[in-house]
Amino acid sequence: MTSVWEKLTKIDRRVIYFMLLVVIVVPLIFPFRLKPKPMPPVEKLFNYIDTIPEDKCLVVSVDYSPDTEAELHPMSIALLRHAFARHKKVGVLCMSLLGLGLAQDALTTVTNEFNSRAMSNADSIVYGRDYVFWGWQQPPLVPILGMGENIASVFPLDYYGYRTDSLPIMKKIKNYNDVAILVSIAGSAVPFWYITYAQTSFGVRIGAGSTAVQAADFYPYLNSGQVTGMMSGMKGGAEYEELVEERCNIFGRRKATDAMSSQTAAHIWIMITIIIGNIGYFAMRRRKK
Amino acid sequence: MSHNPWIWVSAILTLGIFSFLYKENPFYRVCEHLFVGISNGYSITFVWHRILMPTLIDPIGHGQQLWLILIAIIGALYFTRFIPKISWLVRIPIAIIMGYGAGAAIPRGIDAGIVEQVRATIVTRSTFSTAYNGIWAIVIFIGVIATVSYFFFSRERKGILKPLSYTGIVFIMLGFGASFGYTVMARISLLIGRLTFLLRDWLGLIH
Repeated sequence: MTSVWEKLTKIDRRVIYFMLLVVIVVPLIFPFRLKPKPMPPVEKLFNYIDTIPEDKCLVVSVDYSPDTEAELHPMSIALLRHAFARHKKVGVLCMSLLGLGLAQDALTTVTNEFNSRAMSNADSIVYGRDYVFWGWQQPPLVPILGMGENIASVFPLDYYGYRTDSLPIMKKIKNYNDVAILVSIAGSAVPFWYITYAQTSFGVRIGAGSTAVQAADFYPYLNSGQVTGMMSGMKGGAEYEELVEERCNIFGRRKATDAMSSQTAAHIWIMITIIIGNIGYFAMRRRKK
Repeated sequence: MSHNPWIWVSAILTLGIFSFLYKENPFYRVCEHLFVGISNGYSITFVWHRILMPTLIDPIGHGQQLWLILIAIIGALYFTRFIPKISWLVRIPIAIIMGYGAGAAIPRGIDAGIVEQVRATIVTRSTFSTAYNGIWAIVIFIGVIATVSYFFFSRERKGILKPLSYTGIVFIMLGFGASFGYTVMARISLLIGRLTFLLRDWLGLIH
């Protein structure tokens, strides 16, 4: 006869998946909002962007594709909300071809939010004046190194097909000297490329938005100061959303924060399964002895 | 429930991919192949229209930057791989890419990945500007030395090397644990993203 512990160590994986589905779906339908507490790496990034001087710009590199959208897209939206709320100039580019649509979506979402509230042209977010979308260029080394010399020559045409050097904003953004910080939001090692090539060669500051899987790899660079600040995973996005809402009074849909209740419930369920599995394993081992 | 047909397509494909959780099935296979095909089609189209046309074909067509013809020929040598008799020519573009890549990567990689990291590990008087920073700097220092000593295979683990390498194991396990925790968070986030899409955009159950 099989013991309870033996049964617990042999639960069908489909039962575990089903329970996981339940603990994620229930908080989505009956939400309870958790207030994320911003961690120092996120706060550092926020504070640095907050103090970008007027003659410099923020560059957001959208380096993810739809497979990591859930984790990283809220970061892009929160960053853009922050930058536009503080009237910072923004340049956007992509290292991932499939990220172009996502970058476009983030820009459209945020500019629509701001422009629907704007009372005058000065309050509005205008393409070519307040931000520019350079698009995509390959191989990665070419734009990363080329932007240190002349951004307009790396991207002669922007994403929409306009001549980049004809845009008013480009009169102030020539190369990395005009970039206060470049934030690479990536589901891969792209922030590391920026550190290796852009920072080492041109000294540009790098911020990172990474998937949770990648986060552990970037902590050494945060510790060494090579990364100024970092958002890790959906939680990092939720923390940035919290800072933007709290300090800039910018309200909008907070996709990452909305998901935190499900995230917490799922983590508790996974911890329970790990504990049950381990207790079962050790109980069985003792019995065998 | 959504009236947008594209949301329906997206939802059905999402369910198709999720069906793999039950077991491998033809519905999943169709979705997987569609994804690969569409991604490649999108990439090829974009590269043709947004990269090759404006930067190569248009200038050459207008009789400008004719030196690009040479670059295009070198790039086209990649396709010689499909012709066994002259497939050796593929080495030329590969050699150029490797040479350029290695030349650009090695000095900067050493600087960013080794020199700066070693510098950040060195404990100096300024590290102790606050007790908090000082304690963590010492932990990092011990962690690095212990972990590196664990991978030191040229001597038997005796004497000082034995406790040091065992300490290294503790740090390595802590690293694995942190990575695993983060991986769980990442996978759950992606699942939440898709479920939010199904419940909100498709079924309209949440707002």
